[in-house]
Amino acid sequence: MQISKKIVVLGHFGVGKTSLIKRFVDDSFTDNYKVSIGVHITKKVVEIAADSMSLILWDLEGTDDIETIRNAYLLGTHGVIFVFDVTRPSTFQNLNSDLEIIKKKLPNIPFLTIGNKTDLVVLDELKQLLEHNTISTDFLTSAKTGDTVNNAFLKLAKLLNANAK
Amino acid sequence: MLNNYKAAYTNKNIHFVFVNYEGIIQESDQLFIDFKIGDSILNAHPFFECLPSLKEVSEEEITFNCVHLNIADKDYNCDIKIASKKEGVLIVITDLTEHYAEYQKIAQSRNESIINNELIVLKNSELEERERFKNSFIQNFSHELRNPLTSIISITNIIGDTQLTNEQRRMLDFLKESNNNLKLMLEDILSISMINSGKLQLESKYFNFPQLLELLKFTYQTRAENKGLDFTITSDVKIPEFLEGDRLRLFQVLTNLLDNAFKYTLNGSISLNISLNQKRANKISLHFAISDSGIGIAKKDLPFIFISFNQLETIEKHNGTGLGLAIVKGMLEQMESNIKVQSKLDKGTVFSFDLGLKFPIHPITDLPSNSNTKAYKLKEEGGKYKILLVEDDARLQTTLFKSLIDTEYFYIDLISDGAKVMEEVVNDTYDMILMDVNLPNLNGDQITKTIREFPFKNIKKIPIIGLTANAFETNINSYLKIGMNAVLSKPFDQENLLETMFKFLK
Repeated sequence: MQISKKIVVLGHFGVGKTSLIKRFVDDSFTDNYKVSIGVHITKKVVEIAADSMSLILWDLEGTDDIETIRNAYLLGTHGVIFVFDVTRPSTFQNLNSDLEIIKKKLPNIPFLTIGNKTDLVVLDELKQLLEHNTISTDFLTSAKTGDTVNNAFLKLAKLLNANAK
Repeated sequence: MLNNYKAAYTNKNIHFVFVNYEGIIQESDQLFIDFKIGDSILNAHPFFECLPSLKEVSEEEITFNCVHLNIADKDYNCDIKIASKKEGVLIVITDLTEHYAEYQKIAQSRNESIINNELIVLKNSELEERERFKNSFIQNFSHELRNPLTSIISITNIIGDTQLTNEQRRMLDFLKESNNNLKLMLEDILSISMINSGKLQLESKYFNFPQLLELLKFTYQTRAENKGLDFTITSDVKIPEFLEGDRLRLFQVLTNLLDNAFKYTLNGSISLNISLNQKRANKISLHFAISDSGIGIAKKDLPFIFISFNQLETIEKHNGTGLGLAIVKGMLEQMESNIKVQSKLDKGTVFSFDLGLKFPIHPITDLPSNSNTKAYKLKEEGGKYKILLVEDDARLQTTLFKSLIDTEYFYIDLISDGAKVMEEVVNDTYDMILMDVNLPNLNGDQITKTIREFPFKNIKKIPIIGLTANAFETNINSYLKIGMNAVLSKPFDQENLLETMFKFLK
């Protein structure tokens, strides 16, 4: 039986949320930055431990104030992915407080943090920078090269699957 | 009939769909989306897959703003209202594609601008960080070079005073010239790092302007003759003889520009022209123009010529650090002036700048003399001076010791440990202390402070000449403030050292 899980993907604008989803769903990438407004919803079916899971990915309009996200978008959410841009400290300098807000809005559900655009930085320097800012992230990805993108989404799917059982 | 007329005034952007609790489409007004009655709306678009989960929501009506729908290959941006009713769920889809397209344009431009600004700030702070690192590296590097260079210059002078063959004398002259070039390069490097780190301080003193021009003429005339170039200096006769400003920095600016002209001019002429812009009260504005008939600078290269360590690619490889024009620009900016350049390839270049200076309203008859006294006197009673040389660099200590002893003016005691200086000073009688600043255990500036605060006059008043590789004006001024009589920055030559010493020896 196919189960359906809603995942909201959120974070500041310009961090590459749409690009990550596009890479995961269509395995494609474009360098042209087009601002997403409102919400774009796409679907991808994945196989997790012989179960078929339909991931409904809600790509929310980026904002630098997580509090302002419309509550309607979050209704019925099963999992969250918070994305930040590793090249722009403004998108992760308040990460810990942003995550607190999300946990308050969506308690007791699995969530992941992703630092995106790793193709633009030296990974060792980035890790030092994040450590210096006490930022812990679940995945460092590049939507451009595809590095670690599938792993991140599949990890959340596995968490959702485990939660469902 | 009324319905026909009403149709023209009805909002065609609002689509009504009714589904049962399983999501099966019961009714649709088919206004702009083709929903098939009996199909599941969950299959129409992934958005509608949220319907089952909304059963648990207590609100009777929920609105989703700006939902992007792609149905039957057509894109819509809609507000979607979902209302629970007794028989099922009413879905009201308002197509606001045009409205949101306008909003998207605004958001696009706002976000792009914010991101670009952020990236510019990041880039700038990265560049500033690199600049800081570069300056600190240059300062440390030039500091490290000063001790060995002082040794080389001293040893060269010592060798010069010995019996040499003509061939050895010729080689020694090359060595002296190389030392001099190295010293000038080091000074250039230090100048640029002082400019970049804002440590360059300007002086404002009276100086004899025609004498400055004479010195430039003397410096460059022979060089011009050797290269077969015409070299002229012309100056407006209305410019006063004495001006007030930083003579050394002005000289440095002019020599850098003239050096640059000589470097890139293979034939023809080089000229320095100074004209009077205006003179009011005790203020004067002069226009300096340095023209050459050299190889010129391509238009594309002009923005880069004032950048540190930049040398233009030319057929002939030119010596130098590539700092000259960066120093000129930086120094002139400190003097509230701007360097301008006009150039044509294969025709030549003109560098020019306006400089505001002051001049004395009342005539000046006497300025401190710069003349060098080559012969020095022994003590009044005919004996030698007793000098304490405090220097921890063994090679520099040896070369300074040798060069001073050879003059036969001095007895020299040597100390390399800062902590032992006071004991030596108290137990012996010295006419002067030559004091390195960076010493093990106790620094030269701290020792000077202790000596100047000592209760006995004969110790308190001992002249102290500081020797330092920390050649920044701020450092030198702080050493003078503590009580050193003079400070020599390394590398210095013997004549310079003797001249300074005899200013304070009685």
